Amino acid sequence: MTVPPLQGITHACFGLSYLLAFALEVARLFWPGRAWRAAGLAVGVAGVAAHTAYLALNPPTPAAPYGSLLLLAWVLALFYLYGTVHYAKQAWGVFVLPVVIGLVGLSLALTATGDAVAPDWLHGDRFWGAVHGFLLLGGAIGISVGFLASVMYLVQLRRVRNRVNPAVVVPMLNLERLETMARRAVNWAFPLLTAGLLVGTLLLRTEHGGPETWLSVKVLTTATLWLVFAVLLYLRYATNVPARRLALLHVAAFGLLLLALAASHPFVPGGDR
Amino acid sequence: MNLRAIGCNVGSAPVELREKLAFDADKLTRALAELTARYGAEAVVLGTCNRVELYLARPETVAPVHAPLVAEYLSELHGVPVADVQPHLYEHADADAVRHAFRVAAGLDSVVVGEDQIAGQVKDAFEAAQRAGATGPLLNALFPAAARASKRVRTETGLAQGQVSVASAAVGFLKEVFHRFTDKTVLVIGAGEMGRLTLTHIRELRPAAVVVTNRSPEKAAALAAEFGGAALPWEQLDDGLAGADIVVSTTGAEDYVVPRRRFDEKVRPRRGRRKLVVFDLAVPRDFDPRIDDGDQVSVFNVDDLNRVRDQQLAERRRHVAPAEALVAEEVAAFLTDWNRRRDGPVIGALTEEVNRIRDAVLGPLLGKLNGKLTDADKALIEAAFRLYGNKLVHGPIAALQEASREGHGPGLREALMRLFGLQ
Repeated sequence: MTVPPLQGITHACFGLSYLLAFALEVARLFWPGRAWRAAGLAVGVAGVAAHTAYLALNPPTPAAPYGSLLLLAWVLALFYLYGTVHYAKQAWGVFVLPVVIGLVGLSLALTATGDAVAPDWLHGDRFWGAVHGFLLLGGAIGISVGFLASVMYLVQLRRVRNRVNPAVVVPMLNLERLETMARRAVNWAFPLLTAGLLVGTLLLRTEHGGPETWLSVKVLTTATLWLVFAVLLYLRYATNVPARRLALLHVAAFGLLLLALAASHPFVPGGDR
Repeated sequence: MNLRAIGCNVGSAPVELREKLAFDADKLTRALAELTARYGAEAVVLGTCNRVELYLARPETVAPVHAPLVAEYLSELHGVPVADVQPHLYEHADADAVRHAFRVAAGLDSVVVGEDQIAGQVKDAFEAAQRAGATGPLLNALFPAAARASKRVRTETGLAQGQVSVASAAVGFLKEVFHRFTDKTVLVIGAGEMGRLTLTHIRELRPAAVVVTNRSPEKAAALAAEFGGAALPWEQLDDGLAGADIVVSTTGAEDYVVPRRRFDEKVRPRRGRRKLVVFDLAVPRDFDPRIDDGDQVSVFNVDDLNRVRDQQLAERRRHVAPAEALVAEEVAAFLTDWNRRRDGPVIGALTEEVNRIRDAVLGPLLGKLNGKLTDADKALIEAAFRLYGNKLVHGPIAALQEASREGHGPGLREALMRLFGLQ
């Protein structure tokens, strides 16, 4: 029996494509030239195409760690493509691709069970579960973008502090732009995170309200993440805490996000590993 | 080619002489008109603060204009003794003049190698000459080619990269911090020349407001008026600092004008999280360096900016050799193209003349032999005559092309025209 070509796509196809695109982006730092960028972009596009085809053929549930990480990686891969095309001269991929590769790797480590593939997300009693999952995924995208902006901010700030000649290094977005990007990402992530948590809380109360579920790692880390974001918003809008500290807090929040995504879901089928 | 580039620059003439030889609009118009009328030459006059150069092209059949003649003309135009001018003039001829024009346009002959202003100045000089009707075939070909060479050097080598003045280094750092400048306020403390120069560069970013403060209100008002800004009383310096995004400080104060305590108590609490970039260009410094918190407030001193400038100059020097090679390539391409253009009509006329003679001989011959030859015989005879004609002109054409490459084209062109009776 022959396997259709697209059915043969695996994590390795797009994971290795992203890895190669990252290597080419790094090469561009040392040997500036259009060829590196074009090659990196071509390989990156191939990776995103393979990733998209894989998700289309094997739609994962965002409730499972495997699925949520893979979906988040896909959105960030699109973000990588956008940035690489839009900010052609900048080392965009050097920052975004490691996160994409890490998420793909992590999703591979948390291999899917049969139930993790859930084509009937929006049907029957799974509807609100899917709404909860997608709201949190939207929040996760915001958190990830904010994390990337914060990391770039810290690197750019370091350059300015060390008085690095802008002409001899790969260009980066300026501090003001990166701060705005991080601020918008928080503004985007927080309402989605809040709404996702509210739906999740209602689901827990009405259907699976045992104490063991309330104290599960997933629920606790997600709640902590929300708290951190509430603090982040407060510090950003109600105090004069320096942008560098906010960026560091955002990096920590991303760590919490990874923990929350990687933790098994307490009650959704397919959430268990 | 009969081209001369004659003039003086920062390396050959002192600033006092260059000042006297400077061209204002009236003198430029007069010079372009007189050079074309008096010497029958195409002319472009390039005048910048670092150089005064005349590019003069005459027909190949007449003698070129040499430096002594140009010295006399400049002396007459500017009222400077000819003895003061002539020793400082250099003269580049033909291919060397082409190369010089290309090097000047590319910034290779500039004091700050790779500086980009010169490309625009060369373009302006050429356009002014065109408007005055002072250019002809050679200069109309030369200056666009020089502009192309300049563009290639700037895009294909690193010669024009980075900031090579303290003021432009400051702008480079500003672009690393701020995204938009139309909502930013620039505060200038002191009214020194360095501040004025830096402000000139910063103003190109189109900031929302420029505020100037100085111990002397008159000087503050004068500088503010020059840059379309507002003067701020010296006593309100803290208010100015609280509202500013960019500060350029160049006072001659002996001690810190803004000590750390003053800034932390009277300015920092009023600024929120807004970023402030300070260029402290004064020596001794005006700002306590401890005000720099590595995030919201950055204080750059003159050493920081000098370091970037020096680094950039060294970086540019690395690109001189590739840029020179590129210029040499463009010069060769220009000369080949120019010679082809000059030789083309002669070669065309020569070929036409040989073909005419061939047809004049062949036509009657074939007429006499009419009826005795098959079509194949006729074709054979026609081909033989064609081959003979081609072989006949091949030698003179090859010799002309070689002579043009070596710069002796005009003489041989003239000889060929006479020998073959060409028009």
